[in-house]
Amino acid sequence: MELTVNSVSCTVQSPPLTSLLNVLREELDITSPKAGCESGGCGACTVLVDGQPRRSCLTALCTVDGAAVVTVEGLGTPEDLSRVQQAFIHHYAAQCGFCSDGMVVAATAYVNAGGSDDTDAIREALAGHFCRCTGYVKILEAVAAAARGDELDIDSTASSANNTYVTIAGAES
Amino acid sequence: MALHRGKGLATIEYPTGMNQNGDPSQAWIKVKPDGRVDVFSGTSDIGNGSKTVQSQIVAETLGVPYDWITYDNSNTDSSPMCTGTFASRATFVAGNAVLKAARQVRERILAIASRELEIDPEDLEVADGTVSVKGTPAKSMGVDEVAGAATFVHGELLTGDGAHLNPGAAIVDPETGEVDKPPHAAISYAACAAEVEVDDETGDVRVLKLTQAYDIGRAMNPTLVEGQIEGGAVMGLGFGVLETCYPYYPSAEHRGDGMSTYHVPTMAELPEINNVLIENPSEGGPYGAKGIGEMANNAQPAAIANAIYDAVGVWVTEFPITPERVLAALDARSEPRREGRMVAFDEELSINSFSSTRTWGA
Repeated sequence: MELTVNSVSCTVQSPPLTSLLNVLREELDITSPKAGCESGGCGACTVLVDGQPRRSCLTALCTVDGAAVVTVEGLGTPEDLSRVQQAFIHHYAAQCGFCSDGMVVAATAYVNAGGSDDTDAIREALAGHFCRCTGYVKILEAVAAAARGDELDIDSTASSANNTYVTIAGAES
Repeated sequence: MALHRGKGLATIEYPTGMNQNGDPSQAWIKVKPDGRVDVFSGTSDIGNGSKTVQSQIVAETLGVPYDWITYDNSNTDSSPMCTGTFASRATFVAGNAVLKAARQVRERILAIASRELEIDPEDLEVADGTVSVKGTPAKSMGVDEVAGAATFVHGELLTGDGAHLNPGAAIVDPETGEVDKPPHAAISYAACAAEVEVDDETGDVRVLKLTQAYDIGRAMNPTLVEGQIEGGAVMGLGFGVLETCYPYYPSAEHRGDGMSTYHVPTMAELPEINNVLIENPSEGGPYGAKGIGEMANNAQPAAIANAIYDAVGVWVTEFPITPERVLAALDARSEPRREGRMVAFDEELSINSFSSTRTWGA
């Protein structure tokens, strides 16, 4: 079967009922889609299939013959990161990183579809993605920034309005 | 039938690191001939940022740019021993080990620079990768030049080692409560206020807002601290109202075994979270740091339980506070007496009912 993965045409040999996740990871050695729950629950395996976010663990290869698949590897390069990737860096929207690839792909689909920076809309779009580390606060900020098209400096980290610092007077420096 | 709102508060105090066997951490640092610094420590970074924070400690102590540091904990043969990444100890305990190692390296840098510049080491300072004479900044040499001179002129290696070992646990006098030695490590404190909405018909609990205050010692890396605290808040929310391996109905075989039955908080459950981070430097921590990793998810469940009491007037004494448990507690209030005593908790409703024999308001 034929796939276009990150703009590269591939002929793949896996059997037709192999999950797209296994085709990407095992046959094509593209490891950004993560095998999390492998039952469609956690969102870590999300890739774009013809521009739509799909759970690659639940997608049989034969159902996407000829499709264009995009993973995080196809969104940007280290020298030329996508807007969503820059926003995730600037807002520190990752800790252990396991969910990040699926989050970035889903956020890219949301932003590409003209999604707004409205908090409730982002929450609905990304509610199917589990993150155990960040508490989602900074991911939400990152996706909102990408949706607004903020100019972002990836060499600095955004300060977040919900955290206030208090220094005890007289404490050692 | 209505929605009820309530507020509740809970606090937590948490020690850093362990008492047993001294909880040792060791670190070793060497400087390459070009001034780049290799740090070897056994603390694995599990996403908590310990590599970043320990590299910051080394950069700050040596007076070199952060990006000169390579932190290598990939190999247990070359890295010294460290108990591990747990007990909120990576910044405090392992951080102290790299701090001590870095101080040794700094002394050796100054000793070599002293010989090169022919100035007493006490009159030298290091900042931004340059050793300069105090008060005469024009007279200086780069740390890379110092490292080169150490290697090719003086035949020395710029290196340092450090270790942190806690004294054994304090012995408590059973009569007076007095301890025979002071606390060996920093104690962190935090408070969490929860605002909830409870549906008294369905038992559904929505956490609307978490407002928290954390005594963090010193924010070595503010972004990482915020990440730990925000992440902990949502984990605490999960412990409080969602997550359990043992739903009580109808038997253990029906426990959660996947993402559809074990409920992890998602963005849909995310409440408004506001934090106050109080910088109150500790005495023993590197640059005043404390450990706040593990305590970050402790206060929320209790605060939520208190808020539920404020909202609907019943105590739910088992986590997570599922709709079933809220309804059972509301039912118990409406028919509160069994065998003449008020019960807030029923053995039949729980399979891990440590408090099932307890009675309330006899």
